[in-house]
Order: sequence, then structure tokens, then C-alpha cells
Amino acid sequence: MRIRSTFAASVTLGAVALLTTGCLSSGGGGGGGNSNTSKNIEIMYAFTTDQETGFKGEVNKWAKDNGVTVKFTQSSDFNSLINTRVQGNDAPDVALFPQPGIMKDMADQGLLADLSDIVDKSDLDSLIQGAVETGQVNGKQYAIPMSINVKSIVFYPKKAAAAAGLTQPPQTLDDLMALSKKIASTGTTPWCFGIESGAATGWPATDWVENLMLINNGSDVYNQWVQHKIPFNDPKVAETLDQMDQLLLADGMTNGGRKSIASNNFNTAANPMFDNPPGCYMYRQGNFVAKSGGFPDKVLADLDNTVGVFPMPGKTAEDKPVLGGGDLAGIFSQDNQSAKDLVKFLASKDYGTNGYAKTGAWISPRTDFDTSQYPTQVLGSIATFAYESTEFVFDGSDQMPGEVGSGSFWKDMTAWISGQEDAKTALDNIESSWPS
Amino acid sequence: MIKILNALIAVVGGVAGAILLYWLLNKLAELLPGRWEDRVKPYLFLLPALAAIGLYLVYPTIQTFVYSFANNRSTEFVGFENYAKLLTSKTFQNTLFNTFLWILIVPASVIAFGLLIATLADRLRPRGEKTAKTLIFLPLAIGAVSAGAIWKFVYATRPPGQNQIGLLNGIWTAFGGDPVNWLQISTLRFNSLLLMVMLLWMQAGFAMVLLSAAIKGVPTETLEAARLDGAGEGSIFFRIVIPQIRTTIITVFITVLIGVLKTFDIVYVMTNGNFNTNVIAVDFFNQLFTNRNNGFAAAIVVMLLIIMIPVLVFQVRQFRAEEAAR
Repeated sequence: MRIRSTFAASVTLGAVALLTTGCLSSGGGGGGGNSNTSKNIEIMYAFTTDQETGFKGEVNKWAKDNGVTVKFTQSSDFNSLINTRVQGNDAPDVALFPQPGIMKDMADQGLLADLSDIVDKSDLDSLIQGAVETGQVNGKQYAIPMSINVKSIVFYPKKAAAAAGLTQPPQTLDDLMALSKKIASTGTTPWCFGIESGAATGWPATDWVENLMLINNGSDVYNQWVQHKIPFNDPKVAETLDQMDQLLLADGMTNGGRKSIASNNFNTAANPMFDNPPGCYMYRQGNFVAKSGGFPDKVLADLDNTVGVFPMPGKTAEDKPVLGGGDLAGIFSQDNQSAKDLVKFLASKDYGTNGYAKTGAWISPRTDFDTSQYPTQVLGSIATFAYESTEFVFDGSDQMPGEVGSGSFWKDMTAWISGQEDAKTALDNIESSWPS
Repeated sequence: MIKILNALIAVVGGVAGAILLYWLLNKLAELLPGRWEDRVKPYLFLLPALAAIGLYLVYPTIQTFVYSFANNRSTEFVGFENYAKLLTSKTFQNTLFNTFLWILIVPASVIAFGLLIATLADRLRPRGEKTAKTLIFLPLAIGAVSAGAIWKFVYATRPPGQNQIGLLNGIWTAFGGDPVNWLQISTLRFNSLLLMVMLLWMQAGFAMVLLSAAIKGVPTETLEAARLDGAGEGSIFFRIVIPQIRTTIITVFITVLIGVLKTFDIVYVMTNGNFNTNVIAVDFFNQLFTNRNNGFAAAIVVMLLIIMIPVLVFQVRQFRAEEAAR
């Protein structure tokens, strides 16, 4: 009996193995866009809470005026879901891509409509140019920005910082370095810094590196680096880490010291800024920390009087590069007039003026947007940084392959900052993790 | 309302479908001539179950095996490249080493603690025993992620000068120390040990309950005989009790061991494998869902499978031996 069952089992296993061996997926292919042409359209996006509520309000009003029914599909796991749905021939009509990488994949496969003829030229020209370029693949416009965030902002405590010598924003990176050293010499650490973010620990460090790369080398080199046209461990990157070391990691520069950075949550890292006397004076982070769960409630209640902001300076006073991000709108149902109209509306001057901007959960990508619409001066100034930028680039780690952008880049920067690896090892590790 | 209706249809339809299937299979077998009917029938009745196992277990396993020799998008074969790359990378070597540490330390300490608690609780009065056991057993009812939330407050670190919300740092700073980033100390894998303490905390209760029952099952006659012969408490425990509860110890050991090999949530929640605490299951998850590298992920799973096989073989043998002894 024993022998027979073993024999039967091996035969079965063998048969299954024979049947399946060599079965590999055909790669990429399969799936398709969307041939819906009705007035019922579906829109898919990743953002949540206030940003979602405000967006629905804004779009629903438009839909009502235009006799269109819009189905809203929110997914926090946008990238996986959009892939699955495209493969299953079930793409939404309009998608608001939270990261450009996957949008470019879809455009490459010919799934997205060319928006050049759909969105008015005047509207395209009013959008932040760097963000518009991010929506292009091979010179064609496949997606347009409909919301942005700004990451190269330095927050500071208004009153206390003046006493410490921060009376006017530094005009150049050298000024910023000098200011940091000046504050450090008084015995208080100039910077607040924290990169803990649960399973995503490390990303705030990558933003710092990207920001300094952009400032030092300009958007062309930055984009080459992001697209791996120059190696990740290029000497330029090593110099940037060295600079970051002097500015942030050296003794006396960051509140709590280098060792505390990796366990300090990015949301609350800035809070010592509002102590009396402050534990630190400057915090570089995206506009999203200025909300409940980030800054203390009493600070948020009186934001304009307590918090000041200045943009991360350029190499010279004329350079105004901005690191940011945003959601990009693209169309899957290429022949659907309602979907086209919706995207046209998202690019138009009216979009966001119906109460969305007032929520403070959204920043318009239009440089001519009336900043008095934003609920606070702080947010108005932040939006202005983006509108007046000389270069606007998207967060680089979001555009790198997953292995790097949300894998080794996060992990090795964490290892470097917490002292487990030196800068060279960290950069070499990231370079070797880049998929060929 | 519709959901309830759906559920009802699913239950009724499922059962009816199964009955119909077996009825058809039976009819099919009855078409065959006499002797063949009896020969074929058992296999026909086994068929649905075998098909399900084949579809949900055997097929994916083999497919994983095949994918482990293919590239990151599973479009081309690359031979042993995935294995070679993984096994020569320093990071993965560290991951494997951590996993072996977990295997080496956790099951043994769970047994040791479980035995200790079970033996000590056995000596308490009934009320005390119940309270002690309930307390020790409680963490078992807590999911690993919730345990992570609890232990984050034990290991939490705030920069010096701020209020320490972490228990360990609270004690440490009260004695005048500077706050320590416990989970970042990878010297001698101290941080991995701290994570193992969490699993120990969760599993000790499980070991205790089974071992305690086994200890209570040791016949008092043997214990009394030993005492009459002048055996001390120590030799009674090691020479009488332990040999008699050996099978329970092995069962607990293997169960915990398999749990350890699958350890994912604790590490994922606490450090996500940072600071040199990575283990094989977390690495697999990150390879598949962050890096989208099917090849590496499959190769890791195959290696995990290879590590597991001896354990499973041992368990099956043990089970057979027990059955035979009965």
C-alpha cells in the first residue's frame, strides 16, 4: 500500500509538473483600455479624507451641470489595482495617477488618450510647466496635473526664529548652511529631522537627498539620475550625502542627534520647534505636515502667526527649484466625450474654486490660481513657491522602480543615517539593487 | 438583505451542487461493469478533493518552483541566477542568519518558559494557578500586529529632552541614562533578540497550557515511587516528568518552530526589516510587493520550503511512531 501510494503521488506530481513546466506569462501584454462612450463614467484615484471629500464635491457639481454621472473609486493601493484592472479589461474611464511611473507604463502600452488636442493650449500653459512635462511620454501629453504638493518647504517658528537670527529667508544654499551653523553655535540645534514612518521608514531622508540633488545639479541632471541615466552612486550623489552630513547629521545640527532620526516620526518631528525655548528652528518637509496629527493642535489653530515658511533656496539667488509631487489625470476610455470634458474641467480655471481650495487639502497646479482662496497665508505662500519656481520636479523615489524607490533607497538611507552603513556602502547597495 | 440572500443561495447551492456532483459520479461509476465499478468508485469519489488540492496547493507550489528560475517579471528563464544573486548578497545572508537565530532561540525558549511556568503554577493553590495561567495565556489571544502596537510603547524612543513614552526608556532614563534606540542596536543582533521576546511573550501561554496539562497527566504513582526511593525534586522533574511528557514537548516545539519560520507580522510592524532585523518572510513580502520581483520572491519561498521539509518529515515520523505505540 505504501509503495503504491508513493508511486501514485509521484505520477500525479510528475504529470502536473509536466503540464506546468515552462508556463511563463507572456509579459506585459493582454488587457486593454476602455471602450465606454456613455455619460456614466468612473474615476479612480488614491487620495483620501478631506482631499477626497472636497474633490467629490467639486466634481459632482460639474457632473450635475453637465448631465454626467460620475462613479468615484478610491483605492489606497492604486498602483496594484490599476494594473489588475487594466489586465482584466476593466480600466476606469479616468485615472488620477498618484505617481508618474505607472502612468508612463500605461501610456507606453498605448492605453491612454493623447490630451494635446483635448485640453486647451491656454490651460496647459497656465499649469506649472515641470508638472506638465512629467505627464509627457515621447513628446505627447498623456496626463495633466490636477493637484500638487510641495516638498521643498522649510517650516520655522515665527517668533522664536527671529530671536535666533532667522530674520529673512536664506537666498542660497550657502546662506542656509551659514545660518544653520550660526544657530548651532548658540548651543541649540538648528534642524528638526525624523524619518520614521512605519513600514515606509526612510522616505523623508530620500526627499532630503532628492532636494539637495536638485539644488546642486539642476533638473536635467536630477532627471537623469532619477531615470538611471547616470548611476545612483555617481560622485554627485556622494557629494550631496556629504553635504547632508554637514548640514544635518554632524554633532549639534539635529535635535536629538543623529541616532534619534530613524526612530523619530516625521509627522511629529517638528514639534520641539514649538517648545519654549525651541529644541530646533527649522523643519524641511512637505505641505502635508501642517495638519492635524502633524503640528500640535494649538499651533494649527493659529498657524499664520506661529509658523513661517521659506522655500529651500537654490544654488544662487536666481535659482528657485521646487521638489514636489501631484496627481496626474489621464483618460483610458479614449472615445468618451464625458471623460474628456471632465479632464478639461480639471485643468480649467474654475476647478477648485467651488470650495475645494478653502478646505486646505488641495493645491492647484495652475500658476494663475488666486492664492487668497487658500485658508491660510502659510498655504498661500507654499503654493506661491511652486507657482514662482524656476524648475518643478516630481519626487524622484516615486519615479524609480519599486526595488529602489520604495525599497533600497529607503532602507539604505535609514541604515546610513542610523550609522549601520557608511555613505559609500549605502550608495553602492542602492546602485546594485537597480533592476537591469 | 441582498447579502443574506446571496449567502443563503451560496450555502444551499453549494451543498446541492456537491450532492449532485457525487450523485453524478456515482451514476458514472455504476455504468461500469461489476468489478470495475468497485475499483473505480473510490477514486471517483476522491477526485473532487484531489482536484482541489492539486489546483490550490500542488499547482501553485510547482509554479512557484518554476518561477524561481525565471526573471523578475516571469517572462524568461534565467537558470540559477536568482539563487546565486540572493545567496551571495550580504543583505540576504544577514536575513538568513537572522532567520536561523530565530529558529535556534525562540522554540527552545518558548518550551523552557512554558515548562517553568507550568511547573511553578502547578504548585500554586487552585485560585492562584488560575489567575497566573490566565495572565500568561492572555497575550496568545492578541494578534501579532496588536502585539506590535503594544510593544512599540515598550521600545519607543524620543529624542533626549522630550518625555519618553517608551517603558524601557522610561526606566532607563529614570536611572540617569540617555534614551536608547533599542530597535537600532544591531550589535550581537540585540534588536532581533528584542523582537524575539515579543514572540516569546505571545507563545509562552500556548506552550504553558499544553505542557501544564501533560504534567498533570503524569501518574502520581510514579512520582510517589520516586519520592519513596529518595529522589530529589530536581531528578523527579528531569528523570520522571520530562520523559513522560516528551511527546507533548515535541509537538509544542514543532508547532512553535513552524510559527517561527512564518514570522512576518512582528518584524514587519516593528522595523520592516530595517536595522539588520530582516527575516525570510518579510524579505519575501518586500521582494514581491515592493520590488515586484517574482523571481527573487519565488526563490526565497523555495528556500523556505526546503528549510521546512525536514521539520515536516520529522513531524510525520513522530506522529506515525506515536500511532504505532498506541
